[in-house]
Amino acid sequence: MRDVIVFVEHSGGQTRKVTFELAAEARRLADALGGKAHAVVAGSGAAALAQQLQNHPLDKIHYTDDPDVDKYLLDPFVDYLEAVAKMTGPSVVLVPNTMLGRDIAGRIAARLNAGLASDVTELRVENGRVQCVAPKLQGSTITTCAFKAGDYGVITVRPNAFSAAPKSMGAEVLSIEKPPGKSYKMAVESDVEEASGELGLEEAPVVVSGGRGLGGPQPFETLLKPLADALGGAVGASRAAADAGWVPYSLQIGQTGKIVSPQLYLAVGISGAIQHKVGMQTAGTIVAINRDGTVPIGETADLLVVGDLFQIVPALTALVQKAKAAHA
Amino acid sequence: MKAPALKIVVTVKLVPDPNAVRRIDPATKRLVRTGVDTALNPFDEYAIEAALQLKERLGPETTVTIFTMARESMKESLRKALAMGADDAVMLSDPALEGSDVSLTSYAMAQALKKVGFDVILSGALSDDGNTGGVPGALAEYLGVPGLTNVRKIEEIGDGRIKAQRETDTGYQVVTGPLPALVTVTMAVGEPRYASLKGIMGAKKKTIEILSAADAGIDRPLGSDGAKMEVVAIAAPKSREKARVVEAADGASGAQAIFDFLRERKLV
Ligand SMILES: Cc1cc2nc3c(=O)[nH]c(=O)nc-3n(C[C@H](O)[C@H](O)[C@H](O)COP(=O)(O)OP(=O)(O)OC[C@H]3O[C@@H](n4cnc5c(N)ncnc54)[C@H](O)[C@@H]3O)c2cc1C
Ligand SMILES: Nc1ncnc2c1ncn2[C@@H]1O[C@H](COP(=O)(O)O)[C@@H](O)[C@H]1O
Repeated sequence: MRDVIVFVEHSGGQTRKVTFELAAEARRLADALGGKAHAVVAGSGAAALAQQLQNHPLDKIHYTDDPDVDKYLLDPFVDYLEAVAKMTGPSVVLVPNTMLGRDIAGRIAARLNAGLASDVTELRVENGRVQCVAPKLQGSTITTCAFKAGDYGVITVRPNAFSAAPKSMGAEVLSIEKPPGKSYKMAVESDVEEASGELGLEEAPVVVSGGRGLGGPQPFETLLKPLADALGGAVGASRAAADAGWVPYSLQIGQTGKIVSPQLYLAVGISGAIQHKVGMQTAGTIVAINRDGTVPIGETADLLVVGDLFQIVPALTALVQKAKAAHA
Repeated sequence: MKAPALKIVVTVKLVPDPNAVRRIDPATKRLVRTGVDTALNPFDEYAIEAALQLKERLGPETTVTIFTMARESMKESLRKALAMGADDAVMLSDPALEGSDVSLTSYAMAQALKKVGFDVILSGALSDDGNTGGVPGALAEYLGVPGLTNVRKIEEIGDGRIKAQRETDTGYQVVTGPLPALVTVTMAVGEPRYASLKGIMGAKKKTIEILSAADAGIDRPLGSDGAKMEVVAIAAPKSREKARVVEAADGASGAQAIFDFLRERKLV
């Protein structure tokens, strides 16, 4: 286990920010292991994205713009990642802990007969072995796992847990050959956007989340969106809000939704059920607005303001906007 | 026209009751599973629900088999799934499988599922205790079948094909492919049904078959010997200081309290 390989997640011609965090971590691990840091980028626009990745501390960037990657589900991604991994020999594969990353992780682990560490928030190398620190059991326990030294290892990494460190090291850009004899089966017929612009939820520095307390879909637009915009963040939701159909499921934060770790998390009208907390409890600062002072979110929050969200949120938005205007 | 019958298998993990306090044994560094009630992994209940909906759609010749890899002592916990309406269950149980990691678990399950046979496998997206979400993908690889993940609605199934809507980060995709396949479902498929009294009575007579590792044809090193990863340390999380609680007299004072706090932390 010497080299480190980063799976590059991208969409709409843009590399997801978490990729840059993984690139910085790959550099650090590769140096400690005495190996090289690679990235694998596949899909439409990959050639251009590979060029941009040269601004990050990598040694080799492997790319393919094979159209099959976008036409078929998952398998082409896994094939290309496997091809690079097999070329480098026993290595560490880093994928983001996102919907796509989780799908890729189990598959590539099986292909490489590798161990899988998930939702990792800290990485280190001890005696040549990579150790992964991850919160488990709904955040109640922090476990450290180690891979066997001579094997492959696959790690899903929590977005926002590491910092990017852009730096050009003159990485080589190489095209990957299509593995022979592949035919793909699960075809993507159409792609429908329900929540445009919300792709960055896991990566947003600020998340303003609404729950059942919002009472309907409108307050997400009229109350939360302006506050999120003023704070430079994204809107999220509890499962209760998604279940009610007020927002698409893609905004749901929690065990069955997205796991976020922003600098600031604002929980508005959310009680803080354990399944919700799992998705946000590692945020830097947590502020809750709730009319009930005894809600469980109080055990996780840094500040709990007890009052009516319909009065507090607009007033807060105005304060933030005013401060921003004064600053500009 | 009569819909073709399907053999559906639902993978169900048996997990410590999600409402009980979870604990890791410091000596073995494994989750304590004794003395704690066992429950069906909540996410897998949605997969069971999806399977039963398919059975209703396709007719009684379509069968739903529950499959789990777990200790034999947990056998009775499967009755709930049978009471919901599944036809039977198969359990892969072998002391040699204790301490298996994701890849070994998936490999072992795949070997057993090849014996069981299936047109479609339905799985939850993740387990409440393991929480890796890695098993379904690895299982599809070891079985050599295509995987269709995060499905919220199965639009069409039968005649060797499936068409479904799968959730993505920004919305959904419509995906089609051949059967057999492995499908993971999201909670959007619908709330798991409750078992009826008749279902509970009927479940007592349904069969739960037990397979050993040898029965399943598992030919790799097992348990922690075969695992690619080991837990080297466990710790308690850093505890957060208790929240500062502010009673807001009105909207303006509540907003000011938050604003001042954000200023203090240099967040605005
Ligand atoms: C297997 C499983 C998985 C789950 N996964 C998730 C998940 O991923 N994410 C998730 O979020 N949940 C998840 N849940 C659901 C979770 O248990 C809770 O039901 C859900 O989080 C509750 O959402 P809520 O806080 O918005 O609603 P509630 O618990 O109803 O809380 C609403 C809050 O709003 C407050 N409020 C109401 N009106 C006002 C007002 N005018 N001003 C201020 N405050 C107000 C109330 O005091 C209350 O505290 C899961 C559940 C299960 C069983
Ligand atoms: N031991 C097991 N027995 C049956 N199904 C399992 C087992 N482990 C995992 N699964 C299935 O894989 C899904 C994801 O689990 P995990 O990868 O552990 O988060 C679960 O929802 C189950 O459907």
